[in-house]
Amino acid sequence: MSSVSNDPANQDVEGDQSGRLIPQPNGRPRPLSPHLQVWRWHVTMLASILNRISGGALSVGALLVGLWLLALAFGPDAYATFVSLAGSPLGLLVWFGLSAALFYHLAGGIRHLIWDAGSGLTPKSANTLSTLSIVFGVVATLAFWAFLFASGRVTL
Amino acid sequence: MSKTKAYIKGVKVSERHGAGDWIAERLSSLILVPLTIWGLWSAASLSGGGYDGALAWFSSWLNSGLLIVTLLVSIWHMNMGLTVIVDDYIHKPASRTLILGAIGLLCLLLAAASVFFIVRLALGSAPLPAGFGA
Repeated sequence: MSSVSNDPANQDVEGDQSGRLIPQPNGRPRPLSPHLQVWRWHVTMLASILNRISGGALSVGALLVGLWLLALAFGPDAYATFVSLAGSPLGLLVWFGLSAALFYHLAGGIRHLIWDAGSGLTPKSANTLSTLSIVFGVVATLAFWAFLFASGRVTL
Repeated sequence: MSKTKAYIKGVKVSERHGAGDWIAERLSSLILVPLTIWGLWSAASLSGGGYDGALAWFSSWLNSGLLIVTLLVSIWHMNMGLTVIVDDYIHKPASRTLILGAIGLLCLLLAAASVFFIVRLALGSAPLPAGFGA
């Protein structure tokens, strides 16, 4: 391949069949970064994606906490309605998911703080930290709910 | 802006706002680590306690105060996180401005409403809406 035809600046976005090019605001075509499916899966990548997904889920969780406060402030009847929904099997499934997101996001956040401090950045330790955060998310969530059910605070 | 150092310990200091965003994200994460653990512990102790249990919990200003701090820092952190996601996936400037504006507005509304409800619960105010202003 000649270097001239390989230069994205010399290629036309309209005539591009690969879908690799995108026009910049200045009109020059630039190559896109490779899409998700061409990457081999790494645990660091999975951990990063999970951190973003759990963060998004927790935004919904923040709204639900706001709803909980609203129900409390509106008195016993409103609160009874809230508890009947939040304590239903579907409601408990939502809280289970949110607690998993919170435990994982907590571990993922600590992992990022360790990385930001400049530690654990070799491939091996980065993988270990990523695996640890995922394992912590699963184990802590299961332990949390085992405690809630065993102590009788939550019943199905 | 006042004159700031170009280098701290041999590391280049951002000339504009880049480092501020980065520091705010890390600072909020750091604050949220202990608050999240406290929040999970509180959630476990509140569950199954019913309306009266919750009111008793809120009557402690330590609980109410920590919950206000936790929610405000969380909403701040959440706003920064959602902004990064929108910046990554929404490329049209007009759409991005619109979505970021809506998210910001929602965060402000959530923060204001949460603090309002928590303060009322801590004061032991009569249930809304009849007790409005009580």
